[in-house]
Amino acid sequence: MNKILKVLILLPAILFLVVGLRWLVDPAGVAPSFGLSLSQGLGLSSQVGDMAGFFLTTSICMLIAVIGGHRIWFYPPVMLLSITAVGRIVAWLVHDAGLATEQIAVEVIVSALLLVASRRLPAAS
Amino acid sequence: MLALILGSLTVLPSLAQAAETLAGAELASASRPNIVLILADDLGYSDTAPYGSEVKTPTISALAEQGLSFTNYHTAANCAPSRAMLLTGIDNHLAGVPNIIEMLAPEQRAHAHYQGVLGDNVVTVATLLESAGYHTYMAGKWHLGSASNKLPISRGFEQTVTMADSGADNWDQRPYLPLYDQANWFANGERFQLPEDFYSSRFLIDKTIEFIDSNLQDGQPFFAYVPFMAVHVPVQAPREYIERYEGVYDKGWDVLRDERRERAIELGVVPPTANMVSMTTTKNWALLSDERKRYESKRMAVYAGMIEAMDFNIGRLVDYLKIQGQYDNTIFIFTSDNGSEASGPDNPTSLVNSAGTGNMGYHVNYEGLGEKGSYNSISASFASASVSPLAFYKFYAGEGGIRVPLIIAGMPLQLQQGLTRAFAWATDITPTILSFAGVELPGPRYAGRPVLPITGKDLSPVLMGESDRIYADHETVGYELTGHAVLFQGDYKIVVNQPPAGDGQWRLYNIVTDPGETDDLSAQQPQRFQEMLSGYETYKRENRVLSLPPGYSQMRQLFSNALQERYGANITVIILALIVLLPFFIFYRARKHRS
Repeated sequence: MNKILKVLILLPAILFLVVGLRWLVDPAGVAPSFGLSLSQGLGLSSQVGDMAGFFLTTSICMLIAVIGGHRIWFYPPVMLLSITAVGRIVAWLVHDAGLATEQIAVEVIVSALLLVASRRLPAAS
Repeated sequence: MLALILGSLTVLPSLAQAAETLAGAELASASRPNIVLILADDLGYSDTAPYGSEVKTPTISALAEQGLSFTNYHTAANCAPSRAMLLTGIDNHLAGVPNIIEMLAPEQRAHAHYQGVLGDNVVTVATLLESAGYHTYMAGKWHLGSASNKLPISRGFEQTVTMADSGADNWDQRPYLPLYDQANWFANGERFQLPEDFYSSRFLIDKTIEFIDSNLQDGQPFFAYVPFMAVHVPVQAPREYIERYEGVYDKGWDVLRDERRERAIELGVVPPTANMVSMTTTKNWALLSDERKRYESKRMAVYAGMIEAMDFNIGRLVDYLKIQGQYDNTIFIFTSDNGSEASGPDNPTSLVNSAGTGNMGYHVNYEGLGEKGSYNSISASFASASVSPLAFYKFYAGEGGIRVPLIIAGMPLQLQQGLTRAFAWATDITPTILSFAGVELPGPRYAGRPVLPITGKDLSPVLMGESDRIYADHETVGYELTGHAVLFQGDYKIVVNQPPAGDGQWRLYNIVTDPGETDDLSAQQPQRFQEMLSGYETYKRENRVLSLPPGYSQMRQLFSNALQERYGANITVIILALIVLLPFFIFYRARKHRS
């Protein structure tokens, strides 16, 4: 059971790693999948920096938590993902953004998995 | 005596300058004219009726009848370099576009002026006209950089809709080469979704009319740049235009090449002495099966239909300007960016070729060829006919690659009518337009930054009938593309064409009496030959032309760049991901080993 849980966390961790690296290497290629057009100047800097920071931090924290066995590392990605989901809902309710159902679902499911893992997976000795 | 000769030499350029100034003043003295610059894509020398074609181009013919047609006008051998020179009046190597970006080798791109995008060291004619109070519009293919600071909206054009790349489908918003993951259309610098009923030539004229109409009432003149996608690959046209040419090409490319040569001689476009070479890339029509002949004939019919469709839409613009009362104050410049494209496969329906086009979602069936969803081109054999009686075609420095039509017409000018054999070069278009508009050439700095001086020449003296040539006999014009090279001087040209169609040997031709480049004069006139070779070295040095990297081949580089462009970022991401994951893997294995 724990092995399955680890695999279920490793898969999105690797996915987030790839997405984060794509923001660094090929922002023009990855931006459309977020419904974004690349900005210029400070806007572009924020897009690349913030998005890469978000995904790489999330991914690396998940990897440290799963492979290193340090359960406390599960909490930063849980916070990042769950607050992002809340932010999306606020954007929909308050700012007339579209309701990004698929993205919210992924963020909620992965957050839930991470929370479960933080309780079930054994801590490093 | 020596002093007398030297004195004459110094007086001659002064006279030419005086004639140029006088002509420019005459042109500018009229109220500021509108200017429409129409650029066809890959249109061969004899592809329009005034230059000997059987294709019906009534609008272009009417412009030719009313204005002056240059029979000895030359441009770059491929797209973006030509556009860089046209829009800046500066050699393409100095302007940052020695070649299309898709064909530049990494070793070349290490140099700042070899980026394949228009440099910031040059000012476009649009910028200069806009500063002088012109409205500046562009609808069509750009191919001088797709970054936001390189798009036409950032290079002097006030309203734009533009295809940023080397080309795209003419019916849909889809790329035409696997090199591109999408068709990159922009409107005023923002990504743009084409309308459902898109056909390129119709759409570009619709937008041009829309732009002109938006400011028509304010009394300011406009400059409209209309770089068509016709007749670039994929060669596509509405069915009604294709049907007009079905059966016209059943006799094959050799007959067509002969017929066009004869017609060009009758029209006075080329002299009766114009002989032709037979290109080694031209296949034997007689050896084709009836089915293949039928298919090849249809390919060319689509090509002809695409030209006529372009002409029809230019006619719509002319009609619009007449209705709006603007026609009498508009100058038209019609030309092509380079000679006919010969890269179409000999047999597009072969298993390999049709798999390639099929992989992009296109069909190559006879039925519907050229229509929506179909991928069409012409091969080197018909391309050779479309540049008749010239040798070579696009990508080569033979006349077929670089000699193209140039027609300048317009009621505001009391222009000479008919034909001129005066040599003219792509960089001459910008200074000529500025002369029409009465706008001065930029100085050494523009908008606070240093810029290169325009080297092209104002064609006004020839247009006004005050001179029969622009370039003096001693003046030279050079050009290079991936080792294909040329130097013009007076009536002569030295040229080298590299493999596969060329042999890497320099030759000397008189391109006025022998535009078909059939009689190499290098052995008969060794002194001129050597002097021109030396002149080419000077050109190369002054224009910072780089030598080719060892083993360079333009088609191989295109393929390699395509792979890099499409998959390079993904490969980098995978490598980086593995680098990040590696310590975790090592840690995991070590821990497992310990336990």
